[in-house]
Amino acid sequence: MTVAVSLVLLALVDAAFAGFRAATGRNARIRKRRYYARAAARGLALGAIGMAVTATVILVPLGDRFDDLVVAGVLMGQVLLPFAAVVVLSMVAYWLLPMRESTFVILVGLGPFTLVRPLVVVAAVVWAGLGTDDWLVRLDAVVAAAAVLAVEPLTHHRWYRAPIGSVG
Amino acid sequence: MAVLEISDLVVAWDPRSGEQLPVRRDDVLATLRAAGDARAARIVERMPVAGEFLDQRAVNRTLVRVHTELQRLNEELHMAQRFAELLRPMLAATGVRRPRVVDIGCGLGFVLRSLAASGLLGADVELVGVDGNRALVDEAARLAAAEGLPCRFVCGDAFALDEDATVYLSNGVLHHFPAASLAEFFQAQDRPGTHGFLHYDIAATPLAPFGAWLFHRARMREPLGRHDGVASARRAHGDDVLLSAARQAAGLDAFLFEPIRFANPFCAAMRPVLGLRPELTDGFRRALGRRARGLVA
Repeated sequence: MTVAVSLVLLALVDAAFAGFRAATGRNARIRKRRYYARAAARGLALGAIGMAVTATVILVPLGDRFDDLVVAGVLMGQVLLPFAAVVVLSMVAYWLLPMRESTFVILVGLGPFTLVRPLVVVAAVVWAGLGTDDWLVRLDAVVAAAAVLAVEPLTHHRWYRAPIGSVG
Repeated sequence: MAVLEISDLVVAWDPRSGEQLPVRRDDVLATLRAAGDARAARIVERMPVAGEFLDQRAVNRTLVRVHTELQRLNEELHMAQRFAELLRPMLAATGVRRPRVVDIGCGLGFVLRSLAASGLLGADVELVGVDGNRALVDEAARLAAAEGLPCRFVCGDAFALDEDATVYLSNGVLHHFPAASLAEFFQAQDRPGTHGFLHYDIAATPLAPFGAWLFHRARMREPLGRHDGVASARRAHGDDVLLSAARQAAGLDAFLFEPIRFANPFCAAMRPVLGLRPELTDGFRRALGRRARGLVA
């Protein structure tokens, strides 16, 4: 259960940040705290729906494959959690460090991390898939990954296709 | 071959009347293909046309979208704070009671609107943005009005400024001009009543094009913005070129602040060239404090 809760929490936090990213670059106002908070909430909501779909896919044909699912979850966590830890550290550093060092963190950390995030999720699925012979467990991992990766494009498509309030 | 930005080619404005001029798409395509930039040509090919000309309204909307996305990069790089770090001691050194800061090529006016919102320069500073693109000026004014920010925006020519200023500034504009035009740009700011200028642009490090590609790929969705972001890093002027051109404004002392050879290349994404009346230099250094070590003449 700990494995499942950890991964779901990780997915939900990721969904909130995905919602934030979906809204970036679409509002040229200076004060955007509420705008970003709403975007994160939207991402979180879509992430929760994705997790609910994933849970349904996993639980309906569960049978006696619970242990296999736990092993797959642990393997996914082995890839995802270190990445998440580095991202969180980078974000804390960005917020706390002086201006120049903060820029350094963006250029060598948060920018590249955004680019490789989908690859890390795919790597987690592959790693989990290598640890089981059960194709249904592999399918569960794929569904979970798809739900995670879909949040940002869906949020963007639904709410942030055009700049907010401008002629664009 | 010349490195070109699409945004420089797809719009044209009459500097006297302020009217937008039609741009023939085939002319833009021919220019880009002659420069060997097939990718840029493909982006322009997808832009809407009205007859043989680019659809001006669609182009303006695209440029507003690109500048809106670009603002995020400026936010992440703390550009408003970077300007404030130097503007505050500059303005203090001038001793002018109600200084006027004019942002040349302001785009959507992010720097001025940020400074206005933060109050970092104090309430007595007048903030004016100038840009040759009326669509961007209108959007900047709309954004400022929406948040009730004390700054205004007007159309104007960077080489024939109508707006007087205590200090002129710009952000990411210098690389749009060929090196041969830079001296004229700086000289246009050597005017009575002007105490200095402060122009940030992309630092021409070996890492800049890769960093720009990565940054724009991660942060921007508009193909035009992604293309121009990398092109701008490739055409950025070196420190020596900038300093040499800034010195052509004969009435001002020219400096670079934290030039590339003294900075971590990962931290030097943007760096400024600045000018000051000679009699203000000592006061500026004192007001800058410990950071004055970064000034290189």
